[in-house]
Amino acid sequence: MSTQTSAQTDTDAHRGIAPTAPRASAGTLGHGRPAAGFLAPFVVLYLLFIIGPAVYGLILSFTNASLVKPGLNGFAGLGNYGEALGSAAFWSSLWHTLWFTILTTPPLVILGFLLALLANRVARGRWFFRLAFFAPYILPSAVVALIWMWLYTPALGLLDTALAKVGMTPPSWLGDAAWAMPSLAITTVWWTLGFNFVLYLAGLQEIPRDLYEAAAMDGAGPWQQIRSITIPMLGRTTTLVAVLQVIASLKVFDQMYLMTAGGPNFATRSILQLVYDEGFTNFRVGYAAAVSMLFFLVVLAVSAVWFTLVRRQEKVV
Amino acid sequence: MAVSRRRLLGVAAAAVGLGASGALGACSSVVGGLGAERDTGTLDFWNLFGGGDGVRMQQMLDGYRSAHPEVELAAVTLAWGNPYYTKLSLATVGDRPPEVAISHLTRMKNLVRADLLEELLPDDLARHGMSPDKFNRRAWEAGLVDGKAYAIPIDTHPFVMFYNTEICQQAGLLDADGKLKPFEGEAGFVDAMRRAKEVTGTFGGAVAFTSETATPWRMFQSFYAQLGGKMLAEDGTKVVIDDAKAARALEFMQGLTRDGLFPNPIDYQGSIAMFANGEIGFFFQGEWEITTFQTAKLPFSMTLFPNVFGGGSYAVQADSHTFVLPKQPHRDQARLDRSLTFVRSMLDQSRTWTEGGHVPLWLPFAESPEFARMSPQSEYASAADSAAYDEDGWYSGSGSNFEIITGSAIGDVLAGAATPQQAIAQMRGNLEQLAGTASPL
Amino acid sequence: MTSTGVTMERIQSRERLFNRICAGVLIAFALLWLLPLLWAVDTALKPNEETTRTTWLIDNPTVDAFTRTFRDTDMWSWYGASFIISSLTALGVVVVASMAAFAISRMRFRHKNLVFWGILAGIMIPGQVLIVPWFREFDAVNLLNTYWAVILPQLPAAIAVFIFKQFFDGLPRDLEEAARMDGASFFRVYRRIVLPLARPAVAAVAIFTFVTTWNDLLWPLLVLSNPDLMTVPVGLATVQGAFGIRYADTMASAILGAIPLVAVFLLFQRQIVQGIAGSGLKG
Repeated sequence: MSTQTSAQTDTDAHRGIAPTAPRASAGTLGHGRPAAGFLAPFVVLYLLFIIGPAVYGLILSFTNASLVKPGLNGFAGLGNYGEALGSAAFWSSLWHTLWFTILTTPPLVILGFLLALLANRVARGRWFFRLAFFAPYILPSAVVALIWMWLYTPALGLLDTALAKVGMTPPSWLGDAAWAMPSLAITTVWWTLGFNFVLYLAGLQEIPRDLYEAAAMDGAGPWQQIRSITIPMLGRTTTLVAVLQVIASLKVFDQMYLMTAGGPNFATRSILQLVYDEGFTNFRVGYAAAVSMLFFLVVLAVSAVWFTLVRRQEKVV
Repeated sequence: MAVSRRRLLGVAAAAVGLGASGALGACSSVVGGLGAERDTGTLDFWNLFGGGDGVRMQQMLDGYRSAHPEVELAAVTLAWGNPYYTKLSLATVGDRPPEVAISHLTRMKNLVRADLLEELLPDDLARHGMSPDKFNRRAWEAGLVDGKAYAIPIDTHPFVMFYNTEICQQAGLLDADGKLKPFEGEAGFVDAMRRAKEVTGTFGGAVAFTSETATPWRMFQSFYAQLGGKMLAEDGTKVVIDDAKAARALEFMQGLTRDGLFPNPIDYQGSIAMFANGEIGFFFQGEWEITTFQTAKLPFSMTLFPNVFGGGSYAVQADSHTFVLPKQPHRDQARLDRSLTFVRSMLDQSRTWTEGGHVPLWLPFAESPEFARMSPQSEYASAADSAAYDEDGWYSGSGSNFEIITGSAIGDVLAGAATPQQAIAQMRGNLEQLAGTASPL
Repeated sequence: MTSTGVTMERIQSRERLFNRICAGVLIAFALLWLLPLLWAVDTALKPNEETTRTTWLIDNPTVDAFTRTFRDTDMWSWYGASFIISSLTALGVVVVASMAAFAISRMRFRHKNLVFWGILAGIMIPGQVLIVPWFREFDAVNLLNTYWAVILPQLPAAIAVFIFKQFFDGLPRDLEEAARMDGASFFRVYRRIVLPLARPAVAAVAIFTFVTTWNDLLWPLLVLSNPDLMTVPVGLATVQGAFGIRYADTMASAILGAIPLVAVFLLFQRQIVQGIAGSGLKG
């Protein structure tokens, strides 16, 4: 018993948790100097390109800084924040971002789950399904945009011709303010579904087989098995998938920039595109920094919700 | 396991090798991205011309190439609009600008204020035979910033009136030479549209305003400028909309859709299709659509946008394409001369450019009998003298926020979704927000 | 006995039928998912003039669209830029993050928890909110329009440190202890013992970094303004206007832009999928 305890402590010391027991091999004073050497490259880069810019961005957000002028160009106080919170462009961009998130998250999570479920039941040819669903995810957004703009092309595109054949009048997919966002969402579902599919497939394979066998012995049909075993067992995966999905959707920029340029008439401009427009087209760096900070708060809030959910789940399990 | 990994690495290495051998030509520039200094010695030229303009620009570049085989010209066409100006600005801020670039005259001024363009000194221009007196005066002077030149204009592209000659013939709107009889004033305009409508049975003319902001702005600005109205003053820090004049122009425009003379709703492509299919008599758009209708083999011609409100002082919305030299990290006289020679070569090919509908500004061609014989291009050439450019402001210019704000409000009026008063209030509110914002330039 | 046998048989046949329906639905979805890609290939193999007739039949198959893309764009430069940037970024992330993770996993020093949580906090900061200060920063040091402007900000990847630490924590220590006893330096232990054992983690981080860097658009779009310096996505996004309405050429450029990553995917499918499944990385 006592040897076991000491072995346990030994391992903990290695893992860096409460290094209590003095150790002969490494001396008692710790590894301050070599550790600093190992940490230095990361920490220096981290300070230069994450922490430093974050602080600098915060400072910029209180100034009238311009892309084409040196220096901070005078302090604006809370002016940039006031302008953002009082501007229709900011709120509509935020809404477009949320609307895109609402349109993409449920289908991406649900379809990802369903297709993984089906693929898990199929014994052969799983590589084919993984290829079909995951291959789009590996493509650059620019490639996806080129392909889908061609599919959406009025009159000549594959979608319009197919719909015309069955006697339907297709909408102007990317040209109509009401349809543009759903069209971008469809493209995005096609593009990124593979990611969630793979996560769910991995989650499914971790569920012990005997659980299903026992349920089958009790006379549970496939549907009951899914409801009483699969879905509860995948709870944690679903939280992960949903939160990663929400955060990825909030950060949307590529699809709009490439396929609609935020149009028609700004109907699909996302919050990141507003940052791009204000900072790099209008040169208003200070204002763009303020919008970035407000956007960061939104992402932080979502992350906080995730942490709370994970905490709760861990307590339950 | 180990074997399969080794095999994979072998395949990967082979792929890399293949890629590298194919990319030999690109090699120097690629590795150049790792260094801070980079100069490939090519003449980099950026433009924003697609479609028919793109084809003609290509011809002109080929013309330059054959005359100057010693220069390696690298021309890049980028998607037009805000992304183009963003890229141009960022490249210049990042010390790797193209040597020569195209800019709209109205956008060029903000590039100057951002200190991104090289001033063109009179001596340098004169040395290449491009003194101010060789250009259309209105365009040249409109391009000056504080009396200094930063841009060499090649064209003016005004808002014009296309008309279907067969429909107008039947409506009795043509003269003996088969040209449109000029009409003036509100009554004259409405009468012409009504008579065309009687022939077509659908609509008289069309102007795009659904999901489209530039076109309604261009039409409004033409009418409003004829009335003598101004939108902005003092470099865009003041909004000076004249309510009475703006309301008069807007009411007139609203009447066109309300009375069924113009279709509502109608987007850009839809309006083109209507005119190209011969469904309407008149079409209002920039002259660059000439290629579309020539390709469609439509019986049509073009003329000046009608003088409805101007009386003695005609005006029409327009902008100009100009050549600019972005600021290089190092000044270099030889480089400057090479750039100016290139620009001069483009001007000398004004004829090719004019075929695309644009009004030439290079007087040696614009005043030549050769141009006078070009039809319909010469019919509306005087628009260059009466061009109403968008007023200065850091948020103004072709394809800018200014045009989007005004164009969407005007579009609402045409759609019958807003009264002229509401639209004016909306424009003023949004523009004053921008005018009150400290200029980032 | 018999009654259970019958029930089992019924359950099994019911299950077989269910599985078959599953397979059918799945195949239908997979085909639907492949359709856009197939249509892109189909279009690219037609002459431009024939792309406006919407049919799957290719009357006059040609690879002219591909040849034209290579001739009219800087595609080779874009490949080169993407390859250099993505490789250097992947290499840098692996080295920097694994070293930091090694220190946290294997060494004792003051404020270790603070350092670890400080690094983890970085996961919370998306690079996209830093584009404005980054641009000013690289402008100030004159590195805009170089590959370094794209590579450097991606190097401090907190998520990679986290993955390496998790992996190192799970490795057996006997070998390193023996080596340390023999007087081997920490660097030797890291380089000769821990890194080779951590090959799966190295592969996952490297490949995933490579792919996300290759596909990144927003930041490279801002800092790479010259066509001959652009990465594949930036080039395709910027120069697409030049293709106008030549659909075959557009699709050929899209396919050429996709090919390198499709190759990477086919080569490293297992590592990519395991990397995602294991860590839930997402740009």
